[in-house]
Amino acid sequence: MKFIKVGLSGIVSIALIYFLNTSHNFGSPIPPLGKFLDPFHGFWQNAQTANVKSESVSITGLKDKVTILYDSALIPHIYANNDEDLYAAQGYITAKNRLWQMEFQTHAAGGRISEVVGKAALDFDRTQRRLGMMFAAETSVKSMEANPIAKAMVDSYTKGVNAYIQTLYYQNLPIEYKLLGYEPEPWTNIKSGLLLKYMAKTLNSGERDLEMTNALKLFGKETIELLFPDNEGVADPIVDNSGNWKFKPVTFDSVASAAPVELISLKPFEKSPPDVGSNNWAVSGTKTKSGSPILCNDPHLELNLPSIWYVLHMNAPGINVMGASLPGSPAIISGFNDSIAWGVTNAQRDLVDWYKVEFKDKNKNEYLSDGQWKLTKKVIETIKIKGEPVYYDTVVYTHHGPVVFDHSFHAESEKNHFAYRWIAHDPSEEILTFYKLNRARNYTGYMEALDHYSSPAQNFVFACVNGDIAMRIQGKYPVRRKNEGKFILDGRKTSSDWQAFIPADQNVSYKNPSRGFVSSANQYPVDATYPYYVQASNWEAYRNRRINKLLSALTQITPTDLMNLQLDNFNLKASESLPTFLSYMDSTSLQGAELEAFKKLKSWDYKNDIESEGAPYYEAWIKAFLPMVWDEFSNSKVALPWPSTYLTIKLMKEKPDLSYFDAIATPEKETVKEIIQKSFKEAVDSIEKWKAEKKVNPTWAAYKDASVTHLLRQKAFSYNIEHGGNSSTVNAHSKTHGPSWRMVVSLEKSGINAWGVYPGGQSGNPGSPYYNNLLILWTKGQYVKLSFTSAAEKMKGKELATITLTPSSK
Amino acid sequence: MKFLIQILATIIISFILELFLPWWTIAVTSFAVAYLVDNKSLISFWAGFLGIAILWVGMALYIDQTTHSILTEKVNRLLPLNAFLLTGLIGGIVGGLSALTGSFLRSA
Repeated sequence: MKFIKVGLSGIVSIALIYFLNTSHNFGSPIPPLGKFLDPFHGFWQNAQTANVKSESVSITGLKDKVTILYDSALIPHIYANNDEDLYAAQGYITAKNRLWQMEFQTHAAGGRISEVVGKAALDFDRTQRRLGMMFAAETSVKSMEANPIAKAMVDSYTKGVNAYIQTLYYQNLPIEYKLLGYEPEPWTNIKSGLLLKYMAKTLNSGERDLEMTNALKLFGKETIELLFPDNEGVADPIVDNSGNWKFKPVTFDSVASAAPVELISLKPFEKSPPDVGSNNWAVSGTKTKSGSPILCNDPHLELNLPSIWYVLHMNAPGINVMGASLPGSPAIISGFNDSIAWGVTNAQRDLVDWYKVEFKDKNKNEYLSDGQWKLTKKVIETIKIKGEPVYYDTVVYTHHGPVVFDHSFHAESEKNHFAYRWIAHDPSEEILTFYKLNRARNYTGYMEALDHYSSPAQNFVFACVNGDIAMRIQGKYPVRRKNEGKFILDGRKTSSDWQAFIPADQNVSYKNPSRGFVSSANQYPVDATYPYYVQASNWEAYRNRRINKLLSALTQITPTDLMNLQLDNFNLKASESLPTFLSYMDSTSLQGAELEAFKKLKSWDYKNDIESEGAPYYEAWIKAFLPMVWDEFSNSKVALPWPSTYLTIKLMKEKPDLSYFDAIATPEKETVKEIIQKSFKEAVDSIEKWKAEKKVNPTWAAYKDASVTHLLRQKAFSYNIEHGGNSSTVNAHSKTHGPSWRMVVSLEKSGINAWGVYPGGQSGNPGSPYYNNLLILWTKGQYVKLSFTSAAEKMKGKELATITLTPSSK
Repeated sequence: MKFLIQILATIIISFILELFLPWWTIAVTSFAVAYLVDNKSLISFWAGFLGIAILWVGMALYIDQTTHSILTEKVNRLLPLNAFLLTGLIGGIVGGLSALTGSFLRSA
């Protein structure tokens, strides 16, 4: 009897310990509770104070000692004696602060999220695999490893990350691993490749070839030309070099054949929202108070925690560079050194095409190309799913690229197979660009670095302490024939393949323009005399004109002026449309909530400031107005594109009787007037409803209800913020997207002065005060003065901590 | 008196061992201490329960205080129960059951 008691009690205890030592899933995932709650090893150990411990770590394969000083913002200042050690230290210190994010983002890039969160992510993972993300990363790593400099960089970075991973026990694992009950795997070069391709995907996936093909079928060529022009005629291209393009362009006699025009009912992928964009500019010394150029950059991306950027200052013989890096990839992406500064915005250009493929039969072993059957290649993707059997997905490759849509994926039938041609599948040398750019001393160095850059195409702004400023729209662009790439192409004819690329020296660029500044904000890139066909699904129409107007007017510019420009909340879109909206309203017939709304709109200064009361009404109004105008598009059974807001406003002013303003659902014939009045009522109703629900006054920030969300969408690790701006203001902060890094660099001969901030913090640990300290500053519109010139000497004794890396004696 | 001795011994030994060993050493400690101190089974259970609960909640409180609750607030939003309560309960039950087993073995 007594032994039975011992046995029972023992078994229960052991079973309980086992239960508490493993992850479970009862509807929602549960971490191994015993492990997780143990204050000696579990989540409690992730709680930190603002003090950071100094330490010394020995790393196998390091050549020499490396010293890393953390400044008060937890920005590491790395001092190494050679390049390899420099990148190893970057890998080490980035992993120390951001390891979970680095791994999670590369898992996301490569389609491995199901492994971590279960089958809810299977469709996402399949999408990544079928778009050839792994294929792209492998190609990219092959070209990195073929170049000795790039190879040394990624190898060293990988070594540094792995040296950090080796220091980990359960106790000091990032909290996300503890929560989800998994552990980091070794870092590899391919992960750096994946990360860069992930960025490329974010920046290249605005295409809408399928939607445009449907629109062409439904509405015809004339409507397409009216509603989706290649260039909407917004005034300011990035580079205006009219009549001075003195080179012989590549041309072809052939035409790119579009696939047969037909309706395609499969559901295309979600697009990158139009609020993915960026601003950058550089003003020459002739316009600044100091007489030295000032360069600014703010890339607009989805705002998440841990942030997409990690700031570093990196020193070694021949290099002294600082700025924002992408955790997971070596080098600085947007930053400055002691001679130059540079920044990036997305070039928007269409670098993605879809080809309709004809297979011989269901086996998909052969496909038609110029009248012959060519062999396909099949890749079996193995997708591990947490708590479920492995999922195998066969992806068929043609010479165009992977066949993303077929019978097994988002299928409408066996009839439509679309292959994906994407510039990021091609070999590329991005890492080498940043190696050289990080070390460039002048304009020649900048141009030489960019010659290596192919994807994702970017507008690279440049400024130098010697006074030069420049802009170059660099990428590898296929030479396009008219309309090529707007619609789905015929994959059966090689004449519709990309035939050649624009030679790098014929890309759009200019230096020291007479207006005294260069700028870009994702708008149409170039004047009409540029000899190549330029096409994209979306050109920015407002921020760029506002920036150029203010930059033209400003003189004696100080860095503070340009910070104010980055934070500018003036809504040019509203200022160009609201007066017309209001002119169609008869205020004497309004009462109650509608009259109040009318008054608030009438007195609005067009600024999307935090406290603005007019901004929510305008936003609600335009949100109600657009779908009413384009009801022909929104009520369709097949996916269709929408004409741009800029074009809609232009048509509203110039063609108020256009047939599209008629609502198809009603027997009456509406013009702009009726639509404006109807959408006004709907907008006011929606705001009244919002007020009743939230029980607060709809100020702009309250109405926008913005948040910066943890990558796991975990509310407990996310923040709601009150910040001004909207997607078409220079301060392009919308509900979920916005300036992900704000940088201002004054390139003075006596030394660089630079400021930077991003909505997050240097630590990726939700239990660290450095998790959101920069977010607090960012939200208030404040900047961190970056300590750069003689940083180590100036910091002496004031550094937060010193991390010393030493070669392992083994 | 033996009740208090069992509690104290459980706390002190678990504290030392947890500095080096994984969380489940609390079970081994509670079991061994219960065996050696030899309390009646129910008393032994509560001594093991309280010993680990006090140790864990105490340590959690110490971390919470020194880090100004920076993580406690966040994790509280994730857990179905208050983090301290849950930490005390889970640690306590493991400690209690192990101690119970220890006392059963002693009297067997």
